[in-house]
Amino acid sequence: MKTRLFYKIFGTYLVILALAMAVMHFFVGQQIKSGLEAQIERELLTHAKIIDLGTRSEIESRLFQLARITQSRVTLIDDNGRVLADSDEEAFKMGDHIHRPEIEEAKVRGTGRSIRYSDTLGEQMMYVALTVRERGGITGYLRLARPLVEVRKITEAFNRILINSFLLIVISSLFIAFLFSYKLSSPIREMEQFTDRLRRGEGPGTLIIESSDEMGQLAKNINYLVEELRSQVKSANEEKGKVEAAFASAIEGVIILNSLDRVESVNRSMKGLIGDQYGDILKKTPIEAFRNIDLQKALDRFKATGKPVSEEIVLGTGTPIILDVNITSIPGVTAGEEKIMLVFHDVTRLKKLEQVRVDFVANVTHEIKTPLTSILGYIETLEAGAIDDKETAGKFLQTISRHAQRLNRLLEDLLTLSSIELGEMKFQFESVALGGVMEGVLNFMELKAREKKLSVEKKIPETLPLLRADRDRMTQVFLNVLDNAVKFTPEGGTVRIEASETGQDEVVVRITDTGIGVPRDEVDRLGERFYRVDKTRSRELGGTGLGLSIVKHFMLAHRGRMEIESQLGRGTAVSLYFPIWRG
Amino acid sequence: MKRTSTHYEMELQGIKKNLLFAGALAEKAIQDVVTSLVDKKSDLARKVIDGDAEIDKLDTEIEDQCIRLLALRQPIAKDLRFITTAIKINGHLERIGDMAVNIAEKVLELNELPQLKPYIDLPRMADIAREMIRGSLDALVNEDTELANRIRRMDEVIDKLNEQIFRELLTFMMEDTRTVHRALLIMQISKNLERISDHAKGISDMVVYMVTGESVRHQWPGDMPENNGKKR
Repeated sequence: MKTRLFYKIFGTYLVILALAMAVMHFFVGQQIKSGLEAQIERELLTHAKIIDLGTRSEIESRLFQLARITQSRVTLIDDNGRVLADSDEEAFKMGDHIHRPEIEEAKVRGTGRSIRYSDTLGEQMMYVALTVRERGGITGYLRLARPLVEVRKITEAFNRILINSFLLIVISSLFIAFLFSYKLSSPIREMEQFTDRLRRGEGPGTLIIESSDEMGQLAKNINYLVEELRSQVKSANEEKGKVEAAFASAIEGVIILNSLDRVESVNRSMKGLIGDQYGDILKKTPIEAFRNIDLQKALDRFKATGKPVSEEIVLGTGTPIILDVNITSIPGVTAGEEKIMLVFHDVTRLKKLEQVRVDFVANVTHEIKTPLTSILGYIETLEAGAIDDKETAGKFLQTISRHAQRLNRLLEDLLTLSSIELGEMKFQFESVALGGVMEGVLNFMELKAREKKLSVEKKIPETLPLLRADRDRMTQVFLNVLDNAVKFTPEGGTVRIEASETGQDEVVVRITDTGIGVPRDEVDRLGERFYRVDKTRSRELGGTGLGLSIVKHFMLAHRGRMEIESQLGRGTAVSLYFPIWRG
Repeated sequence: MKRTSTHYEMELQGIKKNLLFAGALAEKAIQDVVTSLVDKKSDLARKVIDGDAEIDKLDTEIEDQCIRLLALRQPIAKDLRFITTAIKINGHLERIGDMAVNIAEKVLELNELPQLKPYIDLPRMADIAREMIRGSLDALVNEDTELANRIRRMDEVIDKLNEQIFRELLTFMMEDTRTVHRALLIMQISKNLERISDHAKGISDMVVYMVTGESVRHQWPGDMPENNGKKR
């Protein structure tokens, strides 16, 4: 950059200089040469005229003297061109001179002049001729010649001076060009470094060039542009930061696909949703990453129509996650760079709740309808005439009563549940001794247990602390759990009741049976309303399907909890945790 | 030039996409057909039979794509191997789809009859078969020969399960001739699942070929060095 500028300036100097020198050489040199020649010509002519004053014989006799004085070669020629005498050469050796240009010119105009190269001297010679007249006629010619050594020497000297001064000027202009280019390029260099720093994103500041010329103006403009750029970059960064924050902190899972349909970015929520079931999904296409038919179909539909698409998909290699996916495009800066945004909304819980609600309605309807159908059936039969048959009518009425009671129980249970959920149920917490409550419960259960030939083992330490509980609800809890234990344990089985302190300010009451048990994956659903493991059988046994649900809610209201462990065919253990009374 | 190569890339990607889509459909078909059996939901089995048309459609589409690419682009080296592999994998997937239909037909018949025994081994076989399909296509996506070889070895597990089911059903049939019909149906389902796993193994073989250029189709997976194909 610097050197190139230097060469440019220096080159320009050189060209201008060379032109000036050439002009000097041509015009001034010519001028000097012609001036000198004219002077020599005048001198020779004067000398010739002076010599001509003498007579021919005088001239002939003093020829050498004249030549020496005039510092020229003197030749005397007759009117026929024959050389009569010559100061430098034998006259008879010289040829006919009548056709020499100077003689011919003199013949016409009286004087003649010619410059030509002399082989004898190896030098340019000037010849000046004069007609010699006697009584009005030309009798001969007098010619003086002198080599133009001086002219040559002077022009040569002049050229030497020219060259010397040229060299001198070239050297000095070298310096000048260097200085000038340096001065010119230093602000440019500064700008260069400045913009370079800017490009690398290093160092702030403005460009300082103290100059009022174009450079200064340029620097000002650069500063202005830089300022503009900075503020734009800043606002773009802020904007980017906002978008990134929104992207990262969005509750919805977001995946962005690049123009080649490959995953470009995944936000934190999405990673949380899918975990590492799919490994690293970056740079993969959705079908590569998820292998999901519905997602791919939705994506294809979006690509075909260009309109936002919403679809429900199920992801997950293990437990399924139900997701609502919305597909929209992010317009790109250039065509063909459009990106696709997939927003995933986890609706698994929602779907589950929906399912629970639907199930609940279906269950309640079913539970109510079954006894009602029986009741209506029996009433119809009675109306049709069975009422007259005392014995049958009595049986029928008993059945109707049983079903009506079941209906009543069901509705009571439902009311209990809903009043707990609504928070309307009041609990009267007091200090309760577990032993006493259990005594009452067991008295109540004894008959049922004996009917099925079950042995009931009770192990409640005397030292057990008092519990914080609502006595009636606690009784209900034990009744429900023991009822289940008795119901689902085959004849001859064992029901065991144990109580112990956990050491964490609570007492666990563990009710274990040797009953039919529950499949492992259904244990968690036992607290659900109307959830029955074996649907037909449990109903035969007279349950409402709400027992454990009520227990669960009561335990929560006691700030305790219920835990169930079970093994299919081996039995079930229900652990009830009650807090200790702290009077 | 860049445009062209990008276009070419997109075409290759399109083939891959369709293959994976077909794979996902096949996986789903197997899952549905077994669910249909276990939960006695015959409409699911019918859906599988109807859904096979989609796999068949993809089959022809993938074949067209591959042949077009072969004809127009004259791919070389790895791309060429990918396309030949794709053609073969495509065939395997199509066959898997057909077998799912075979199973669905048997399931429809079985669902009308009293259950012979609890279905425990069949869902297990189906799970393994699905895992094999999925794994073999994962291996394709990630060019993972190690995974491919692992999938190839899984075939043995299914073979053993198939034998076990066969022996079990044989005792059923010998004890009570009334069970023969149902037992044969279950046996056919088991056999089809076993063949599906063979196809999944075939896909894995092709993946190994695609990545390494070595044919392992007729090698017993147990004979191979653990990291066969990592050489190149």
